[in-house]
Amino acid sequence: MTPNFAVISIQTPTWHTPRLWVPLFLFWIPIILLSPIIFLVLVVVAVGIHTNIWRLISLCWGILSGLPGTDVRVNAEGNRVLVRIL
Amino acid sequence: MNDNRRQILEMLATGKITADEAERLLAALESSPANPAGEQSGSVAGATVKTRAKYLRVLVEADDDLTGLKKGPTTVNVRVPMQLLRAGVRLASLIPAQAHNQLDEAFSRHGVPLTLSQIKPENLEELIDHLEDLTVDVDSRDTGATKVRVFCE
Repeated sequence: MTPNFAVISIQTPTWHTPRLWVPLFLFWIPIILLSPIIFLVLVVVAVGIHTNIWRLISLCWGILSGLPGTDVRVNAEGNRVLVRIL
Repeated sequence: MNDNRRQILEMLATGKITADEAERLLAALESSPANPAGEQSGSVAGATVKTRAKYLRVLVEADDDLTGLKKGPTTVNVRVPMQLLRAGVRLASLIPAQAHNQLDEAFSRHGVPLTLSQIKPENLEELIDHLEDLTVDVDSRDTGATKVRVFCE
């Protein structure tokens, strides 16, 4: 499953952002529109590193679909950062 | 015969569990037929049917005495899906051979005797499986000022 939302929250002792829900699924629209260019870039990269283009695409897809469930919370010096990918 | 039933019978055959415990496990297995093979957990007399870990967790807690920052403790709580780790390890196979050598040298300079070229797709699953058994607990000597936990869940 590809990531659909990212939840981002940043708090410092002086200010804080509200918990932001970033709709990642909306990024699919520009990605689909730019897919020919992205494909060309991947072909160039695949030729550059002497690998199969389909293997490279499979790897990129694996990383993308592995992202949901990632949760990073850091609390230091009174600052708090939260990043969750759903 | 499904895998769970076979596993229980093998544990009984090897003497890891008694006949009564095997009977209880089989009864539990029959009462929950919806559970897929390999994703059950249970523990009888130290015999455990393993669950498959989904996430790698890293927890760090450090007191402000240790960090020198007098603004409260520092905590880091990271959860990484195992699927992402798998993809990351596969990514290592894309690194060119000449870069492998440079990376291996850099690793060994920093005391990590790791040879990237040995990480191949065929032993990738084995590597991840061993990672699922990983648990690292570090407590600082200074009355527990720092705690680091790395485990799979």
